[in-house]
Amino acid sequence: MEVIQQLIGRLHPLVVHLPIGFIIAALLLQWYDRKNKEWSKILGILFQWAFIFATIACISGYLLYKGEGYSFDTVKFHLWLGIVTALFSLLMYLRLSASSKIDFIKRVPVVLFSFSLLFLISFTGHLGGNITHGSDYLIEPLPNSIKSILGVGPEVYEMPTLDEDNWEDAVLYTDLVQPILNNRCVSCHNAKKEKGELQLEEENGILRGGEDGVVIEPNDPEKSALYARLILPLEHEDHMPPKDKTQPSIEEIEIIKTWIAHKNSFDKTIGELGLKKELFYAFFPKEKDDTYPNVAVAEIPVDTIAALKNKGFHVERLSEESNFIKISCINKPTFSDKDFDSLSSVRNQVVYLDLGETQITDAIFEKISTLPNLTILKLDNTGVTGKNIETLEKLEYLKNLNLMGTNFEEVHLPKLKKFEKLQIVYLFNTPVKKPDHVDKPKEGELFVDYGGYNLPKIATDSIVF
Amino acid sequence: MNSLDRLIEEKLQRELQAKTRRHFIKDCVAGMGGLALGSLFMSCNSFLGNNDKARITLTERDINPLASMAPPFPAKVKSVIYLHMAGAPSQLEMFDYKPTLHKLNNQACPQSLLEGRKFAFIRGVPKLLGPQAEFKQHGESGNWVSNFLPHFSKVVDEVAFLKAVNTDQFNHGPAQLFMHTGSPRLGRPSIGSWVTYGLGSENQNLPGFVVLTSGGKTPDAGKSVWGSGFLPSVYQGVQCRSKGDPVLYIDDPKGITRNLKKSTIDAINNINKKEFNEYSDPEILARINQYEMAYRMQTAVPEVMNINNEPEHMKEMYGVQPGKESFANNCLLARKLVEDGVRFVQLFDWGWDSHGDSHSNAVDLGLRNKCTEIDRPISALLLDLKQRGLLEETLVIWGSEFGRTPMQENREGKEMAFKGRDHHGDAFTMWMAGGGIKKGASWGLTDEIGFSALEGQVSVHDVHATMMHLLGFDHEQFTFDFQGRPFRLTDVEGHVIHEILA
Repeated sequence: MEVIQQLIGRLHPLVVHLPIGFIIAALLLQWYDRKNKEWSKILGILFQWAFIFATIACISGYLLYKGEGYSFDTVKFHLWLGIVTALFSLLMYLRLSASSKIDFIKRVPVVLFSFSLLFLISFTGHLGGNITHGSDYLIEPLPNSIKSILGVGPEVYEMPTLDEDNWEDAVLYTDLVQPILNNRCVSCHNAKKEKGELQLEEENGILRGGEDGVVIEPNDPEKSALYARLILPLEHEDHMPPKDKTQPSIEEIEIIKTWIAHKNSFDKTIGELGLKKELFYAFFPKEKDDTYPNVAVAEIPVDTIAALKNKGFHVERLSEESNFIKISCINKPTFSDKDFDSLSSVRNQVVYLDLGETQITDAIFEKISTLPNLTILKLDNTGVTGKNIETLEKLEYLKNLNLMGTNFEEVHLPKLKKFEKLQIVYLFNTPVKKPDHVDKPKEGELFVDYGGYNLPKIATDSIVF
Repeated sequence: MNSLDRLIEEKLQRELQAKTRRHFIKDCVAGMGGLALGSLFMSCNSFLGNNDKARITLTERDINPLASMAPPFPAKVKSVIYLHMAGAPSQLEMFDYKPTLHKLNNQACPQSLLEGRKFAFIRGVPKLLGPQAEFKQHGESGNWVSNFLPHFSKVVDEVAFLKAVNTDQFNHGPAQLFMHTGSPRLGRPSIGSWVTYGLGSENQNLPGFVVLTSGGKTPDAGKSVWGSGFLPSVYQGVQCRSKGDPVLYIDDPKGITRNLKKSTIDAINNINKKEFNEYSDPEILARINQYEMAYRMQTAVPEVMNINNEPEHMKEMYGVQPGKESFANNCLLARKLVEDGVRFVQLFDWGWDSHGDSHSNAVDLGLRNKCTEIDRPISALLLDLKQRGLLEETLVIWGSEFGRTPMQENREGKEMAFKGRDHHGDAFTMWMAGGGIKKGASWGLTDEIGFSALEGQVSVHDVHATMMHLLGFDHEQFTFDFQGRPFRLTDVEGHVIHEILA
């Protein structure tokens, strides 16, 4: 019997479309027939059918609600409005049918019924859709710009975070476990939807478990469905979250495991549980890698890169995700100042330029100063002397300058100190004299590496034991 | 056997004979047809290929397997110098200072440490052996280094120590394989192969993965420690020698001039190009490229491998001995190779197996001499890379396949002539320096006698994961499909060791 009930219940999404169709058809016909009034009889029949099927839909809907574990809160408006829709179809039928004995209905204007039905059918249908597809179903595909106008911003998954300073004071359950559950599980296992009769919104629900019993065996993650189902193969029928939903990260799964393995305490802090920091790395806010400028640049067309490579340049993207490139003349020792012009097509994207061991002269500085995002510049083992190097001052991201093995002259050194972002200059093997004492650079100050390190001979060098 | 049986037997034989022929025609029609159809389609493709070149999209990698590729994430370093001390140096005489062990010198090892354990050579109850070196804290970091490494102690602030690396192998061969391929069994690609496969190489005239051994012995695990495993063989390490021809047979044969060689290669390439125009097989282009690269290498390799042109003070700093095979020469070469855009330089030194069975294998004598051999070169390497601005984009790793026991080795249960220690993989020391590494850091803590890890134990996989991280890879995503499943360097393990990252 239960099976039949469930089956009828599951036919609800199909059956509901019959009254919808009849009501819409009848309303359209009513509009079409508003002057001639030729189709009144047909209209009556249509509303009669609408009433019959709306009633069936109500019954099947009720069975669906009973059979699939929806909470009453979720379905109540849809349920009541469904019944009201059936009722209004009946009233409309009675209003239209000639044989009706109920007088007071005849006095109500038909238009009132029509508009009520139009409203009811749209709104009830929408509520039903919300239950099956989720309330964000229609908004979800919209572009983010429109979403933000509607005030429903894009759903961004935010990993719970810990604070570097007081991570040990965070309560494992409150600050990590529950946020992870909220993000990954609660959309189905909540008081409204309660799939598998399981609620994971708060302590009581978690401890109560679902239709297959409790989901936590304290201290035994492997036997706890809450953990064990997460690590089943994705294709496995029992894998959670379902295959098509976003999956928790390895670190998040590890947190759930640790939590269960430590008696699934709801109030102990990480420190009290004596857990190691290693477990939580993923949850500390990431330090941004600010080596390279934080500016967006256009992607370089493939054939532009190919053309540069054909000219002998070594071209490499910074990473698969970045449009910035590194350029090196390692395979092009003949590079000279005039060859620089072939780089103009990618001047915004070059962040790393290695012109070491090439034929460049001091005229190169002015050309290099046209690369706005340049961060690392290597001019080592070339003939530059530093004349005109001040033109590089306008490179606002230049951090690292290698002049090792050049003829760089000491008189130009003070110019480099004016460069705003420049952090390190390599001057090993240049005419610049190394001062007797080099101070350790302060934070944000330019460090000049004069090189010339040596390892003085010591007595033990030649002792053989 | 009666006649009936014989008849049945004969009937069965006949049936079987009939089956072998008919089976093929009858049962395999569909299969054969499928095969034929497949090759028809294929030939269709190559037929079209002749007329329509655009149908074949060649990637750069098809033509040049060493073409450089962008890492998935921004990398901290672009090259690696891996210094491997084959034989396993004693961490207790170099970096892991254990004053308590000194006090317990010559006392019997507690049973609790021996129960259920197997050592390579130790039998019965060995005695504990105190540190044979004197330790001091050095630099601003205050990290401990012994007096066996007086030069290194001056550059100690450049490196980050891992004091509790763990391996589950206690014999050299498997442990070396594990350290270099992520598996103690043969068949996996070495780290250098993974890296060159993933990133390619910058210099078109040099191999991307160069191996330098200090002469004498090669690692116990053989050349598999720089092998390419299931990766294409172009990614295997190229062993270069600092004495004689850097690469065997790199010289032109007698009577063959450079020009003749060039025209030979040009002629072969022309034939190959015609072949490509006919069949459009990218393998042919790759082959053309290989010939050209080999030709270029003939001049480029001897040039980079020549250390005679280095200035005298540089030779002194490294302590090189031109014309010989030595670790010092290899350190200088490593710097030159990295400077010239080689992706991965692997150094192997040998003679670190301090069992105490001979003078050279004693932890107080031979080990000290070995330390002197590497002390100057490694310190010079770090300083030289630094002054050239290369240290910030290079990862230097020092380590071995495992460490040594706090107990004195008692081979066959007898006291030995020299002081020695047995193989021990529970907790040993490695260090890293270079780009993305937290200078002066030290992670991991061993117990009072240095037997096992108390805190910060890291595995070989963790070390690999960290290397991959610095090179711009997520070690879990960087895979190669082989035998029906994706393989990765770290197998199913490995965590990035954030404690030593800047």
